[in-house]
Amino acid sequence: MRHLTKAAVLVGAAAVVLSACGTAADNDDSDNNADEQQQCEAVELEGDPQVALAYDVGGRGDQSFNDAAYAGLEKAQGEFGFDGTEGEASSDESEEVREQRLRGFADDGYNVIVGVGFAYSDSVDKVAPEYPNVSFAVIDGFDPTEDDVNCNVAYLTFAENEGSFLVGVAAAETTESDTVGFVGGVNNPLIQKFEAGFKAGVEETNPDIEVVSTYIEESDPRGFGDPAGGQAAAEGLINDGADVIFHAAGASGIGVFDAVTSADLWAIGVDSDQYLTASPEQQPHILTSMLKRVDVSTYDFIAAAFDGEPLSGYTEFTLADDGVDYSTSGDFLSGDLITEIDDYKQQIIDGDLEVPTEP
Amino acid sequence: MTRTIASPAAVRQVRYLTWIVVLAVLITVSLVRVLTDQNRMTTPGTLRLALIAACPILLAGLGGLWAERAGIVNIGLEGQMLLGTWGAAFFAYHFGAWGGVLGAIAMGALGGLLHGLATVTFGVDHIISGVAINIVGLGAVGYLAQTFFIGYEGGGPRNLSGYAVPREITIPGISSAARWVSEQRWFLVSDVAGAIAGVTTRLSLLTILALLLVAFTAWVLWRTPFGLRLRSCGESPQAAETLGVNVYLYKYIAVIISGGFAGLGGAYLAMVASSSFTTGQTNGRGYIGLASMIFGNWNPTGVLASSLMFGYADGISLLSNNGPLVHAILLLLAVLLLGYAALKLRRGERVTAIVIAGIAVVLFAWYLAVDSVPSDFTGMTPYILTLFVLAVAAQRLRMPAADGKPYRKGQAG
Repeated sequence: MRHLTKAAVLVGAAAVVLSACGTAADNDDSDNNADEQQQCEAVELEGDPQVALAYDVGGRGDQSFNDAAYAGLEKAQGEFGFDGTEGEASSDESEEVREQRLRGFADDGYNVIVGVGFAYSDSVDKVAPEYPNVSFAVIDGFDPTEDDVNCNVAYLTFAENEGSFLVGVAAAETTESDTVGFVGGVNNPLIQKFEAGFKAGVEETNPDIEVVSTYIEESDPRGFGDPAGGQAAAEGLINDGADVIFHAAGASGIGVFDAVTSADLWAIGVDSDQYLTASPEQQPHILTSMLKRVDVSTYDFIAAAFDGEPLSGYTEFTLADDGVDYSTSGDFLSGDLITEIDDYKQQIIDGDLEVPTEP
Repeated sequence: MTRTIASPAAVRQVRYLTWIVVLAVLITVSLVRVLTDQNRMTTPGTLRLALIAACPILLAGLGGLWAERAGIVNIGLEGQMLLGTWGAAFFAYHFGAWGGVLGAIAMGALGGLLHGLATVTFGVDHIISGVAINIVGLGAVGYLAQTFFIGYEGGGPRNLSGYAVPREITIPGISSAARWVSEQRWFLVSDVAGAIAGVTTRLSLLTILALLLVAFTAWVLWRTPFGLRLRSCGESPQAAETLGVNVYLYKYIAVIISGGFAGLGGAYLAMVASSSFTTGQTNGRGYIGLASMIFGNWNPTGVLASSLMFGYADGISLLSNNGPLVHAILLLLAVLLLGYAALKLRRGERVTAIVIAGIAVVLFAWYLAVDSVPSDFTGMTPYILTLFVLAVAAQRLRMPAADGKPYRKGQAG
């Protein structure tokens, strides 16, 4: 009977390992091929737009990415007056489950469907051709099959490196130990973009400052839903001497806030203004947040559908069009620092400063 | 397996040998640290991370131990742990830190009761019931969070933060003195001091409880009549029945306690390893707990040792620039395995010794071939270690004889 237990453990371990092999997103190929996509005809929606939001791991209530998408949905709801529906994702789900969720929405008559998070790239690519009159969007998405473009899919991406650059400046001006840290949820090109921008911002401000970085998971998307991992990662960086830590780890970031709170140091939030959703004990430790206006992109996409011109192909939201930004809630950034950051911001918008996308 | 009653002298000799082995391992670790100049291997910070990462695994492993000692395979630990995370958040929000701990234990025990109902009363296959509990646990926690946490302060449909957690204590003099010694990077002394500083700095009361439960489990299961009867249900329920033991009752008690332990592990995750609740935050630690139980040979101290090892692997996989550190650990593993192979050879187990030595040589060659282990591997360390250990130690493991076997009342006839 020992074999029984052993087999069971192996099954469990295999599940853990296999899920680790899951979605390694390759965002490299999001290089603007917007030109060729212009040839697409706008999708003809049948009847009024009916909006559905399919969430990523972490789901609504993550005080971050998914909540921002929901905020965009809410804003559009207020403006256009529709019901809309939402679908939650669970942390271990397979490609098939995501595809089923999308098909379920489409079959129920929803014709404006937003996949929140890059994990939907493959499933949307598969499902979209089956529903030519439905307009899909993948936030942070990329087209896995470059040669075979789906005209009814919009990929809403962000210049995260630019926003991260700005909070990197804030970190460099705030650190006293000349060491700042970065915690990423999953080590994929998308999250590396945050690290690259952050590092560049720190280096531009003061090349003597060291940036130490770590990732919670190598490829398992559960790195975005593991606060214990976030706390351990942040404590490790604090042991390395970091006194300002920027996280791009979704719901795991709450653990990063816990770590800096008990060590009385600084953290930098991500995606939404995390000062506003943090607990009262954590608030005095959230220096700023790198804003990724998922709400703007979600709203823009829905609004375009209501205007009868659904988006298609890649749309990048940058500093120039308020797609990324930084927050000042809590008033921890001094006036001088804000001036300095805004100066860099202008340089990036004007194209005088090029922010790398790979660390 | 027959076990002869050891004479006091033999017992003393075994203890003596254990200490020698522990000392040899310590010296090896320290040597490798000094040779590779990877001081982070034993800094208080790293060891503290390892301890915190180890505790949920330890509690799940002890939970598994309780169930399997009574003959029930509890693969539902992961699900019971998940229930525990929710229970900790919900009850801590309403009744304070220790209310949360009790609530987590109760929720886990509920999962255990469900497993007991399925396997003991209805005779469902243990694996099937356990897998079902994992799925139900995930679903139930998602539903419960959505139902209760939306209106709470700091809550959302999938998370809750800002509730009370058990206190952390720092032992004043010892902590700072040990920290100072560990910073001197002396051979052996600093490594031990690092461990002391790691456990005396910001030590959560829940961590102390977890470590006490190891001793408690060992005492109850091996030193009390209750424990003897419980274990007899795992070794030979028919024989226990003929001697008047209510096997069903003992199995129920064991599996409920097992669930309670897993629930406590969930509380640890949601209160010490982090101080917030997120649905599905166990991240496979229940399965690792089960693996630590097997590696620990269904034995509390074994579970403690193996979960510390898994915790260490987990902890260093999160450190920044850990490539060189993991690289140094390759060397450490190679040396330790070589030592183990030598031990086997002395006992005349030639084939095993050769296989283990072969693995050690491969590791050593790998160590020489690269300067740094790519980060993809560091994340896999806990799982590779599990496979490793199962491969190397499998022959020495002995599970309870009737573990996982169906038992119906009256079979003894």
